[in-house]
Amino acid sequence: MSHSLNEIEAMAKRAARGAGLSWGLSEEAAKGTRWLSAFGFPGTEMLAELLVMNDRIPPIDVSPVSLSADVWHAPTRRMSPLIAGASLSDCAVRLLQRGTITMQNVSLPLLAVPFMGGAALRLGVPVAAEWDGARVATDGKQLCVQGAADALRAKHVGQLVFSAPAEMTGKREPLMRADVCETSWGQLGSFAHRTFAPATEESRLRGAGAGGSDND
Amino acid sequence: MNTITRRDPELVMRLARLGSIHQSRLSFMRVLLRRLAREGWRFENTAFNVNDAGEGHAVYTVYSPDRAYSLIAYAHDLPPEKRSDRVIAEAWDATFTLFDGVPSAADIERLSHNIPVQEAGRVSGTELSVSRANRSVRLWEHVVSSLAAGHQPDLEQIEAVGYLMRTTAVYGSGKLGAADREMIADRPEFRAPFQVEMLSVYLTRWFVLDLVQHMADRRAASEGRAAAQLSPEIGRVMGVGNSTGLGMAPFLLNHPVLFNNWVAARENAILAVRRLAKAKSEEIALFQSLVARSKITIDQWHSEHPIQIEKLKGLRADVIKVDGYLAGVGLSAEHPWDALYRWAEDNLSLEGQEWIASLILEPYGAHVDSFAEEMAGDNTATFRIAGAMSVGDLRALLTEIYAWAIDTDWQAPENRARAWYVSEEKLEPRLGERFEEPIEEYEQPLAPGRDAARLFHALAHWPDEAQVADFLLRHPEHRHVLRRAQIVGRAPYAEIRDNTISDQVLPIDMLRCKLAFFGATQFDPRSDRWVRICMYGNAPLPTELTQENADYWVFPAVETELEEGTA
Repeated sequence: MSHSLNEIEAMAKRAARGAGLSWGLSEEAAKGTRWLSAFGFPGTEMLAELLVMNDRIPPIDVSPVSLSADVWHAPTRRMSPLIAGASLSDCAVRLLQRGTITMQNVSLPLLAVPFMGGAALRLGVPVAAEWDGARVATDGKQLCVQGAADALRAKHVGQLVFSAPAEMTGKREPLMRADVCETSWGQLGSFAHRTFAPATEESRLRGAGAGGSDND
Repeated sequence: MNTITRRDPELVMRLARLGSIHQSRLSFMRVLLRRLAREGWRFENTAFNVNDAGEGHAVYTVYSPDRAYSLIAYAHDLPPEKRSDRVIAEAWDATFTLFDGVPSAADIERLSHNIPVQEAGRVSGTELSVSRANRSVRLWEHVVSSLAAGHQPDLEQIEAVGYLMRTTAVYGSGKLGAADREMIADRPEFRAPFQVEMLSVYLTRWFVLDLVQHMADRRAASEGRAAAQLSPEIGRVMGVGNSTGLGMAPFLLNHPVLFNNWVAARENAILAVRRLAKAKSEEIALFQSLVARSKITIDQWHSEHPIQIEKLKGLRADVIKVDGYLAGVGLSAEHPWDALYRWAEDNLSLEGQEWIASLILEPYGAHVDSFAEEMAGDNTATFRIAGAMSVGDLRALLTEIYAWAIDTDWQAPENRARAWYVSEEKLEPRLGERFEEPIEEYEQPLAPGRDAARLFHALAHWPDEAQVADFLLRHPEHRHVLRRAQIVGRAPYAEIRDNTISDQVLPIDMLRCKLAFFGATQFDPRSDRWVRICMYGNAPLPTELTQENADYWVFPAVETELEEGTA
């Protein structure tokens, strides 16, 4: 079904929160899912897959151990692309100074790509990411994609290298609507549901504070 | 002259003041009507198929110089027991969508299955908004029965309510599958915020007047008579009501850059006028006439809520003081607007101060209207955290913006008595009692003061030279509020500098603020978290809109007021 990008972002934010991510990371997961969807990638499917995989696990276990290490790695050898991506975005200036940032053992690497869009906007130069069989580059507005669909959609990669400044070749413009797979939408909906307080009579009467009759 | 500076966010961004803001020439419905008149938009009612029971549909199309937009209205026969203004309602007297272009019969048919059920339906990228409205039962029946009996309705009864129908939600920006704002934001007519929603409401008012006449005509016909035609003067007095709950309050907190841009535009406009060295006599005359016309609005402003009753008492006393000031000091000296504003700040209630702050903009459209161009918000550039910021700089920023919060005792129950949450019932936003209801685990991040204080304390043992990127890697729970602090560092009016979860918080302050930026009048709180208002009261009807009447319509005309009383 065709969805608006705002709907995708709103759903993704609630779902990420429902799966145990902090509000701040959930906001970024949502912007990222929206960004991928706008470029025609199965953003909601990949987010749902990650949330199922990392449901309510402590974030520290799937975070980089150190941001100053030569190679970033997570103690569990399955770094979350959301946390890795957020850290990459936080380290945009370091990325430009170092030229590259290399990460080991990252889940669903495409989910980290939107964060480099943010880094590119901040730095004012394109940023690229490369992993086995895939290369993507972005200046934050347009995207260049090289690689087969299954490489882009990889569930786990041994090495992920970000570099800046990068070259842009064969640009793709974002779209304004996205087709969403209903299964992933349902999965995200289940995660999102955890963030909603159950309806109680007291909440219904007091919580919104309408008070009195509206039939006047 | 450079000693006149923009008002400090510490002064402006307090809830009590935000909850006293008045509409101004930068309000979104006034921006819209000026554009429609300036560009000579054309209006056409292309369908009106409503039966004797009030069921059917109507289409109203407007033509801009480049495009067409159509309000498709569906009218329903609603049983009284289903009439509720709450989000959790499931049926309404009328439902609407603003369509991008001119709808085909197939579009109207498709939407007839989706718009009447609102949140239970789906729309597409050709729909720009989805909304609904309920009748004001008392006024509706009075107007229908008066016209059906062959005479005009009573103006006093009309003024007591102000509208025939009130909207209970106007959704835009991609809700329910509608077009995202990004799809239309590059069109000049939608550059200012909420122009889609404001256009939809303006056309809704036209439909409501047609519908009430139609219902009166049918009732008179069934009694073998002809109904009176509602006089345009009386019709014009009526706006569209709106009934709003908590949903709007999180909006201001969730869109900090946008909120900053609204407030900053108004503050820049106030500053520009305060810096004028002299006022010309025609500008003074216009201002004085608008003070006189404002008095009618303030006189008619009715509320049964104790808080608003007190505020109105203060405002009415302020009006008398302003008369005294204008008769005494006047506006002929140097920097007259700055002098008036400073006097207001020392002598008037917050309602009175904000009334004057908005009103001094009125004679100066040429100076201030262009600030409306800066009111749209784009979060993209500010959304990314600057991870290279040092902990020392972050600490300084927090101390500057959130000093009040850092000094607050967040262990004291009264300072965190409430929690914002979303109910599973139609995702209605609610505010609950943290210590009395099982809601804390569902709390939304809508208490920036408390969260900033937590962040400040979590940083206590970090060295100044550390980078926030390293702090966030270990403390992702502070990511939301750290981003917020960085945004407010660049956009000083982005943050409400008050406690949004105390036992004293009045969510209606946030609702009032947002609705004043829309251009609403007649704020009438129904509780501490629910407010009714009026939109487009006294506005020219679409077919009579001209550049002459597109600007000051919100101020009732002193002379026609008497004439209407005899209708």
